[in-house]
Amino acid sequence: MEITHRVENEILIIAIKGRLDAATAPIADETIKKTLEENTNRLLFDLEGLEYLSSGGLRVILSAAKEIRRREGKVALANLKQYVYEIFEVSGFTAMIPIKETVEEGLKDLAL
Amino acid sequence: MVSHKNSFELKSDLSELETLCQHLNKFGHVTGLSEACITDINICLDELFTNIVSYGFTDDLEHIIKFTINVDNNVLTLTIEDEGIAFNPLEKKDPEIPADLIDVRIGGLGIHIVRKLMDDMSYERKRGKNKLTMKKFI
Repeated sequence: MEITHRVENEILIIAIKGRLDAATAPIADETIKKTLEENTNRLLFDLEGLEYLSSGGLRVILSAAKEIRRREGKVALANLKQYVYEIFEVSGFTAMIPIKETVEEGLKDLAL
Repeated sequence: MVSHKNSFELKSDLSELETLCQHLNKFGHVTGLSEACITDINICLDELFTNIVSYGFTDDLEHIIKFTINVDNNVLTLTIEDEGIAFNPLEKKDPEIPADLIDVRIGGLGIHIVRKLMDDMSYERKRGKNKLTMKKFI
């Protein structure tokens, strides 16, 4: 599992690659929390490289999304593989977080 | 499809999730099951295994969790067996999904996901062991 981040148009983009499960969640959580220390309130998850997601990993993404909402900001997800999308769907979160096909669309959704 | 059966054991440590994935990839290779199907199996066994490891044991000793996977015609049967405290996941209510993200309580999602991905689940407690059997029509 690998996490990288960059900023584009003042939007924080966090890319997660590999497998995000209960074993990799603690380090992912720590890394993302550190990234969120920068005072951003617009966050886009780029999940193109995310090969696997279980509820342990879902929690990490949700907890970051909640933090951004607490800051009255906006969150979106982009580039989801079908079975990653399904995990968000069966958990009921597709109704709460905008899901976009590409990073470009995600950035457009989060633009001021 | 020809019938295939596989069984394996994992130690009660979350680092074994990687071993679980390796077992399932091998099973996918042998049976020719689709990647999507293997991923569904992986998620279900992962969620249950993670629950057992996180909440099933009151000591810090190493325990063994047993798995079987069976494909016969179009029926996939999974079992998972552990010696942890009695826990019937079928008695657990699905978490309520609120309308707003900020009200989401993070927890209890794993079993909800397993229920959605599998077609049938049954639980038995015998001789101090939990045994969960799941079926999926493929």
